[in-house]
Amino acid sequence: MAQKSIKKGKKQRRIIDTDIHERATYAELVPYLDNPWRRYITDNHWIQEKHMPYTQPTVAGVDRADAVTPDGGAAGTDLAFMQEQLLDAEGHEYGILTGALDPSPSSMHGWYEMGAALATAYNNWQIENWLEKDDRLYGSVHIAAQDPQQAVREIERVGSHPKMVQILLPIDTRSWGDPYYHPIFEAAERHNLSIGMHHNEPPTHFGGWPRYFIEWHTMLPTAHMIEVSNMVFNGVFDKFPGLSLIMIEGGFTHAPHLMKKMDQQYKELRHEIPWVKRMPSRIMQEHVRFTTQPVEEMTEKEFMQYMDQMGSEDMVCFATDYPHWDYDSPLEALPKLGETLEEKIYAENARASYPKLPQMQGSVLT
Amino acid sequence: MREVVCKKEDIEPGKMRSASLGKIPVVVCRTKDGEFYAYANRCLHQGAPLSEGALCGDTKRTDIHGNYEYIRDGEILRCPWHGLEYDIKNDGCMLAEPEKKLRSFNVTIEDEHVVLYK
Repeated sequence: MAQKSIKKGKKQRRIIDTDIHERATYAELVPYLDNPWRRYITDNHWIQEKHMPYTQPTVAGVDRADAVTPDGGAAGTDLAFMQEQLLDAEGHEYGILTGALDPSPSSMHGWYEMGAALATAYNNWQIENWLEKDDRLYGSVHIAAQDPQQAVREIERVGSHPKMVQILLPIDTRSWGDPYYHPIFEAAERHNLSIGMHHNEPPTHFGGWPRYFIEWHTMLPTAHMIEVSNMVFNGVFDKFPGLSLIMIEGGFTHAPHLMKKMDQQYKELRHEIPWVKRMPSRIMQEHVRFTTQPVEEMTEKEFMQYMDQMGSEDMVCFATDYPHWDYDSPLEALPKLGETLEEKIYAENARASYPKLPQMQGSVLT
Repeated sequence: MREVVCKKEDIEPGKMRSASLGKIPVVVCRTKDGEFYAYANRCLHQGAPLSEGALCGDTKRTDIHGNYEYIRDGEILRCPWHGLEYDIKNDGCMLAEPEKKLRSFNVTIEDEHVVLYK
């Protein structure tokens, strides 16, 4: 049905999808690992301990039920099937790969050495099997952020690859404004990479894990709000004026509240953070982008009210989260918003936020 | 409009399959007690093909926190994406918002064949 809608439309919508999950199996990563790391997987059957205390009580676990690959493999493991079901079907111009977080080097507790080795293996696997096999796909640099020096070395190693556009950071116990992470931001600026925040496990919740998955999934944006306010108030964007931040998979409707709240706090308490030179909302308008998914059902009027409150039409980028169960369809998820705003949200805002994506010169891609 | 979908035995109780009635994509479901139902094969939320989802059950409404009872196995059609649930025995009503319902079609069994009508 998606194909049909595209054919019917007068002009195909340009889509830059800011969250696509390719998945590596452990077996696929093995050839990209040296010993001793390889043998921990092959001989010792190592897999990363995952932290989420829930199964996902959805229709098919974390994935869309119809995204199982034709040979019965896990969703996101087969480039050809992803091309057929997503990139071709919906007419993607570009897609940003964000990994499947398993293994997830940045959210490993302890054994950062193994995390760093996995990040390197993952990046090499991603480049060889996805980025260099489809012109539309761009990638994320995976790092073991718990060891910033090691992480910077990995960014130096693969960050200049023409199809790497961002660095993924974890949401964990240490928030991102902390000077601890600043060497990573410096490396990001050096390589023209954005910082991408995907709601990695375990998105930190005050009060620990709620009892039910529905509570956790509803409150994901709170983890995003913590990271954004932490970065702004710790002066990250004052110190790194070229840095852009993409908050992935937290939706965007919490942003207007956060901007308003932070501005008010700034008026009252700014003397505590004298390194922050402008109103927080202004900093966010310039440096922070939010992806739509998982978007709430909204009318055009409701959607535009959020836009008005953000004071910008440049901050929201479209994402599908394919192949996960809470996937948003590029043709169905958002209300009709008019051609200009739709072009921004579906493509141009992302193009502006990822300087390494081919840019438009007039109506021509360069 | 009339469309022969398949033989009756091709859809076992508790299973479903996609079909079409003219140009309309349809999902034909068979409950565990053997009844057939047919609905538009398109989720009301974002249009996902329901036949790729699951035919499953529900948890019984309760006033007791922590009390779980699994009921109506094979009578609830669940979307493959966001898991929205439709009651196939109750006119295709969405469980969360019963005022929303799937478009339904008549199904009959004729000479052991499943036949759709509009």
